[in-house]
Amino acid sequence: MDLWSHCENPYPFVPNEVLQAADSVRAALPNRYCDPMIASRLFDEIFDEHALCDDLGINIVTTEHHAGINNLCGANPLVTAIVARITKKAKILSLGTLVTVRQDPVRVAEEYATLDVISKGRLQIGFVKSGGTEMASGDANPVRLRQREWEAIDLIEKALTSHDGPFSWEGQFFTHPHVNIWPRPWQQPRPDFWAATSDLPTCAELGRRGMVNTLLFGGYDKTKLAFDAYRRARSEAGLPPPGEDRFAYLGFCYVGDTDEEALRIGQKIAWFVTVSLKASPQYNKFLPGQIAPEMVPKAWRSGTGRAPTDLRAESLVTQGQMFAGNPDTVARQIKEFRRRVGGLGGLIMMTRQGLVTHAEAEKSYRLAAAEVLPQLQDLDRLEPVEQPDPLVAASP
Amino acid sequence: MKVERAQVQGVDLEVIRGGDGPTVVLLHGPTVYSPVAPFLALLGRSASIVAPSHPGCGGSTRPDDFDTVYDLVHFYQDFLDALPDEKVTLIGCSFGGWLATEIAVNYGHRLEQLILVDPVGIKVRGREERDIVHHFNTAPDELARRAWHDPAKQRPGQFGLGWQQHLDAMSDEEMVVLARGWDALCLYAWRPHLFNPKLKHWLHRISVPTLLLWGASDQIVTPAYGRAYADLIPGSRFELIPEAGHHPELEQPEALVERVVRFLNGS
Repeated sequence: MDLWSHCENPYPFVPNEVLQAADSVRAALPNRYCDPMIASRLFDEIFDEHALCDDLGINIVTTEHHAGINNLCGANPLVTAIVARITKKAKILSLGTLVTVRQDPVRVAEEYATLDVISKGRLQIGFVKSGGTEMASGDANPVRLRQREWEAIDLIEKALTSHDGPFSWEGQFFTHPHVNIWPRPWQQPRPDFWAATSDLPTCAELGRRGMVNTLLFGGYDKTKLAFDAYRRARSEAGLPPPGEDRFAYLGFCYVGDTDEEALRIGQKIAWFVTVSLKASPQYNKFLPGQIAPEMVPKAWRSGTGRAPTDLRAESLVTQGQMFAGNPDTVARQIKEFRRRVGGLGGLIMMTRQGLVTHAEAEKSYRLAAAEVLPQLQDLDRLEPVEQPDPLVAASP
Repeated sequence: MKVERAQVQGVDLEVIRGGDGPTVVLLHGPTVYSPVAPFLALLGRSASIVAPSHPGCGGSTRPDDFDTVYDLVHFYQDFLDALPDEKVTLIGCSFGGWLATEIAVNYGHRLEQLILVDPVGIKVRGREERDIVHHFNTAPDELARRAWHDPAKQRPGQFGLGWQQHLDAMSDEEMVVLARGWDALCLYAWRPHLFNPKLKHWLHRISVPTLLLWGASDQIVTPAYGRAYADLIPGSRFELIPEAGHHPELEQPEALVERVVRFLNGS
């Protein structure tokens, strides 16, 4: 199994009274609250962490969110390009520039091909549907988002894999009469594709396409349901069973000298949920096109309810949303997660999150590389698990 | 008023019908009308009302490839062709006012008169001055405050903008209708947001008698925007409705209908 580091470059320096008074800490919070000198220091620290992970044998994930305290990496390809140049051996996953808010997928393909060449074939390309405040900050229509995402993915794939001169694309959402990117990607036919989703029909489509399916904080049950949908779709399509490298999971992670230290520092990560997710109702509950209208009464009457409510580090560990402890404890937690979801090829550690410091993050990465990663190699093969139809199992 | 079904060019359309008099086609704004809305009954004393729910709104279906105002405008030209009347009076409110304006530019020979109630649809001021409050990026309480002279007048069947404030007062069915309409409006009108950058240049083509009615307290599109709109339509008349916001038909039904009927009667 691979370990990956993931850092959103959060900005936990806006005064509390400002955050409490704001309806939303994303999209609408004035950027006068972002001190460029602090932001610059944060980027220095984050790039140092990426370089350290490269030395340690941990792979790197770069992300993209816009206009908020949770993430300063709005320009993902730019950040990923720097990572590509300062590292030598780590695989780099761009998860990813938001193709649903980008106007021109051909430009995205051009950026990714360039990144693959600069990194000499270490790039992996991730897709996220996006939503919420990103629709406002990217002026992107939230209705039919998923259809638009798939068409963008198809166009990017064709741009990366076509080598015989210009081709034309006249789709439902994008048109381009003259697609011919230079350079072409280093990896042939193209870098591996990932997508972050727990939406079961989408997981099934990932399975049919052989893309890597990663979940973000899904916990045990939701993740297993998603991976089962992936495996079942491949089986039904007559495709070979997927390798474990097709499945990844992102959770909070802190590795300390002791369980007590890890849980204490892991608690600092809760800022991500308690502070950085705050968004006005028009950006989440009432964002058009996100749920079928007939499902709306139940969803609206019960609230959005997606964020965990019990944010004690111990509870997040129990729910499979955090891995925290001494190295042996964390290795045991990850192996248990792998067993319960039926296989896992990559564990993405969200460590530099919330109020966790640069020094604390680097300590965790060193311990993870030295004492956790070796315990995740050459794992026993998992027994095949029964695969009920998750689409049926998920229905009410 | 009765709710009927009509089949028009592949759309299974929900249509409110009722009243007696010359035919008035009514195009709704961001939310569909309840058949028991008081302004419909008042107007029905003087006119035969035909009020379709836009494709994708209320109980009307939306073909998969209907996703622009262009589709709606051409659909409503088909709809007018399917009516027995040689000419009708067209009333459009808010988003429906944009549709009515486009139809009047393109298909004015089927219109007797045009009445626009707080319509959106054109760009008036400079590139850094928003004319129309963004319906989807603005908090619901802010929408309600801007759209109503008195938000306390919102009630089931006539919430208008800011409807999200009233989940506790809604039935499940009403929520589904509002969600369908909200999704459809977003699909049709996200960008440019609720206007056609070219429409202003073609308003001179409107040749039927035109009345613009505007809620004096409308802060979604202000009366100043309305006056600019009226100035671009040759011979049009502009009237304010006191103590009304963006939805005068819901907030001041008597005052609105009195002005509409006077215009229908040619005075």
